[in-house]
Amino acid sequence: MSQSMESPALPPLAGTVPRARPAVSRRALLARRLKPYLYLLPAVVLLGIWMYRPLLYTFYLAFQKWSMIPGTDPIYVGLDNFARLFRNEAFADSIGNTVFYTVGMLPFSILIPLLLASVTDGMSGRAKNVYRAIFFVPMILAPVSVGAIWRWLFHPSNGLVNLVLMKLDAIRQPIAYFSDPDWAKWIILFITGWKMIGFSTLMFSSALTGINREYYEAAAIDGAGRFRTFLRITVPLVSPMILFMLTMSILFASQSTFAYIDILTAGGPYGSSTNVYYEMYKYAFGNLNVGFSAAASLVFFVVFGVIALGLNGLSRRLSFYDN
Amino acid sequence: MNKRSPAFATLQHGLLAAMCVLAVFPLYWMLISSFKNEAEIFTSSLVPMKPIWNNYRYAFEQMPIFRMMFNSFAVAALMTVFQLATSLLAAYALVRWRFRGQTLIFALLSLTWLIPYQSIMIPNYVLVNDMGLNETLIGVVLPFAVSTFAILSLYQSFQSFPRVLIEAACIDGQSDFGILTNLILPNIKSTVASLGIILFLNGWNEYLWPMLITRKMENSPIQIGLKLFVNSDTNMWGSLMAATTVSCIPILLIYIALQRQIVDSFVRYGVK
Repeated sequence: MSQSMESPALPPLAGTVPRARPAVSRRALLARRLKPYLYLLPAVVLLGIWMYRPLLYTFYLAFQKWSMIPGTDPIYVGLDNFARLFRNEAFADSIGNTVFYTVGMLPFSILIPLLLASVTDGMSGRAKNVYRAIFFVPMILAPVSVGAIWRWLFHPSNGLVNLVLMKLDAIRQPIAYFSDPDWAKWIILFITGWKMIGFSTLMFSSALTGINREYYEAAAIDGAGRFRTFLRITVPLVSPMILFMLTMSILFASQSTFAYIDILTAGGPYGSSTNVYYEMYKYAFGNLNVGFSAAASLVFFVVFGVIALGLNGLSRRLSFYDN
Repeated sequence: MNKRSPAFATLQHGLLAAMCVLAVFPLYWMLISSFKNEAEIFTSSLVPMKPIWNNYRYAFEQMPIFRMMFNSFAVAALMTVFQLATSLLAAYALVRWRFRGQTLIFALLSLTWLIPYQSIMIPNYVLVNDMGLNETLIGVVLPFAVSTFAILSLYQSFQSFPRVLIEAACIDGQSDFGILTNLILPNIKSTVASLGIILFLNGWNEYLWPMLITRKMENSPIQIGLKLFVNSDTNMWGSLMAATTVSCIPILLIYIALQRQIVDSFVRYGVK
């Protein structure tokens, strides 16, 4: 190991033969130094082409006006896209909905799963596995299939949900879930959450499995009730997982609602169920207004970046680890 | 442990059973709707009285379902293979050597978590268009040939691989690539396999990008074809549910066969 310190020309190899040969040709030396980069090359090149080049290009397009039509060129318009973006009421609404979806996902990604996980935690292995396997089913299904199924269940005139509600006399008129502005975004939130629960439950279950049983025994001896035990022992001990799921949920809520918005409502009625990512898509591929879409991307890249940094800092300070 | 009263246990199982119904009932409803005839489809009966195959026949007539299933398989399999190949090499380099620029590479990898597909879709769309890869499977796969999720996951698995073994192989004169393929890979086969399962499911479920690149049914994965079908035939619910059932079958079969591995691999790696 110490050998690598003595030869600064070589990349210090973690775990390699102590090199006794003093005279290595320059070429071999170079090859050695380049080796790590060679292995990384495919991944880095592909990331460059398909991730970072487009990201920078999008930032560039945010200051241009362009319709993506072949043969036309982007025209520089300065901050015009941003100015129009912030004056655009539909965009303001979509920000409101984005917040709605992000906050609304939290019960589905944290609260309910944490409860389900702790309820199944005390069970025998077999019952636990069966429940978890069933909860997990929605997670593996494709968004379009899920969208099609719920579209049929929530169908305004013939869907099962309305039929049952009518039979129970809960409603007089069938509800047009997808074309009623009061309902559309709730339904989309519900479907996204329905798909999320199984995965989060699983993550919390695995976090709970790691908790030392003795804490619970001690709490029981001290006469702590079930709820108190949950609040005082379970929650602090899974706090790293809670913060992890919080970050995931906030970053991905808007992205996972995208497919359902597209399939079920196309953002309507009157933009009541759209979110910022769907608006970006519509600006670019519906209105062919690329600059506008790019400007929105840039703004939200920064916004979500700040949020992620904040959460990262929070998880460093707040997480409680059981050593 | 807490002492548990029978009432509480019943309540517990009741709650969990209700959740199970909520999770699985939509699938059941899809399945039985696909077998109901036109008179029955609009009722709330829980079993089809006279099950029929017509819905399936109609769905298969209207859509090139086999073709689209093949597309989905090809897309998901190719993405998985490319992502595993690129991430194995990259993760190996990151674990094996210490070199200049490593921190930068980690930063670049981690930062991709913040890039939503919507903010890179336009340039990628333009590029794939310029390459003439519209309406092709390779155009769908190419931007997903690398996955930072896969790289970072494998990096974690590689790190727990005992370094002594690598050193020993080095002394035995194994080449660096040989160490990866002959020593490390055989020992972490199951890890790679479970990562592969997640990558395959991700590829199968990919939505936005295939939708932009393929607009004709015969070129598109089943998801996109299904969406086109949903939007065209709004009242053929029986055959729409038949098509949806068919689209779910491969994934459900995989899940039933590999249920434990799938659940474990999601626990191990989380989601993209």
